[in-house]
Amino acid sequence: MPLLAMRLAAPSILVDLQHVPNLSDIEDRGDHIRIGARVTHREIERSALLADRLPILSAAASHIAHPQIRSRGTFGGSTAHADPSGEWPTILLALSATMQAVGPHGNRTIEADDFFVGPFTSTLRDDEILTHVSIPTTRTAWSFQEAAVKKGDYGLALIAATGTPRGGVLVDPRVTVGAAVGSVTRLVAVERILTDEPLTDELAEEAAVAAAESVKPISDIHGSSDYRRKLVASLVRRAVVELKNGA
Amino acid sequence: MSITPEERLNVAMTINGRRYRAGVEARKTLADFIREDAQLPGTKLGCEHGVCGSCTVLLDDLPARSCLTLAVQAEGRQIRTVESLADGQELNTLQRAFREQHGLQCGFCTAGFLMTATALLEENPAPTREDIVETVSGSLCRCTGYETIVAAIEQAAADGAEGNDDAKDGAQ
Repeated sequence: MPLLAMRLAAPSILVDLQHVPNLSDIEDRGDHIRIGARVTHREIERSALLADRLPILSAAASHIAHPQIRSRGTFGGSTAHADPSGEWPTILLALSATMQAVGPHGNRTIEADDFFVGPFTSTLRDDEILTHVSIPTTRTAWSFQEAAVKKGDYGLALIAATGTPRGGVLVDPRVTVGAAVGSVTRLVAVERILTDEPLTDELAEEAAVAAAESVKPISDIHGSSDYRRKLVASLVRRAVVELKNGA
Repeated sequence: MSITPEERLNVAMTINGRRYRAGVEARKTLADFIREDAQLPGTKLGCEHGVCGSCTVLLDDLPARSCLTLAVQAEGRQIRTVESLADGQELNTLQRAFREQHGLQCGFCTAGFLMTATALLEENPAPTREDIVETVSGSLCRCTGYETIVAAIEQAAADGAEGNDDAKDGAQ
């Protein structure tokens, strides 16, 4: 709707999904949780199931705009919108989520790695809609960091980090950056540093340096690329310290 | 390539307890429906893209930007606007608190603040200052500096405001 209001989009046909059934549930399916596209940010913020099983979602929901927006905006809408400063794209990429889409040629699943391909661009086809997102619950170590000028504003930099703890280390860490970049991106160099290593303060510092070296930040009136590079480094350092507490 | 939608759709909704029905363009916003078709001009339009919060109304009891909702999306729903708060000339507890704490100056943003605060107090009659600040953060006010708005909502909570029925309760 904001895109229409600002005349950035002028579709000839709009389809309202509010009466489509089965898109509004949050379901516990054991090793993963399936979230319907029409679940609102507000419902995620208040879900007891998510607070217990995927607390990174509960924590991040409160960063999304304001209560008046969260009562209307949906999980699927923001995911499919693929805004590079969106909390859900950044987090779903870090959680290795799987998108489920449906179109005239049937159902298809798309891994997060293959879903977010550019600014406001996903690999959903024009004739498909996103119906559900499945999120594994095994990545119990997590951290979400957001730096914004003021609460509810678009972030200047977002970092999401998750991993599966085993014997005091993370076996499969994923670290993603949003807002500071043109498209949500994994920080592969940082992930490599964190894999199978005890998460010490020294490692956090090393990860921050690697993040600053590998990130390609954007520059705009809200923050220069140098400033965002420093923000990304700080947020990665904080994320690793938080991950340590979950590992 | 852009096509102006000429098609009109019939829409019916309840606003402040009264049924409204009209044939509207599919692209008409709920805010315009409220102001033009229902003739309730208390709801104000500021930025018209969801940032300023002036147009906030309650859509099935939840605060929503009426500028980012199409009228046709509100088909069959219950809407409450700022006109639902007072009982005739009698301000409700929340409105009185805004007046007593100087929670408004020019008043343009006030309808949005009142409806947002109404939703907060209905869900949580004893909000912390942090809850109030979080709620207020979704609306822009260029006059007050917010302190008096937060104070007004704190006073309304202390006075036992409970949405739009308390004006009828008389003395608190």
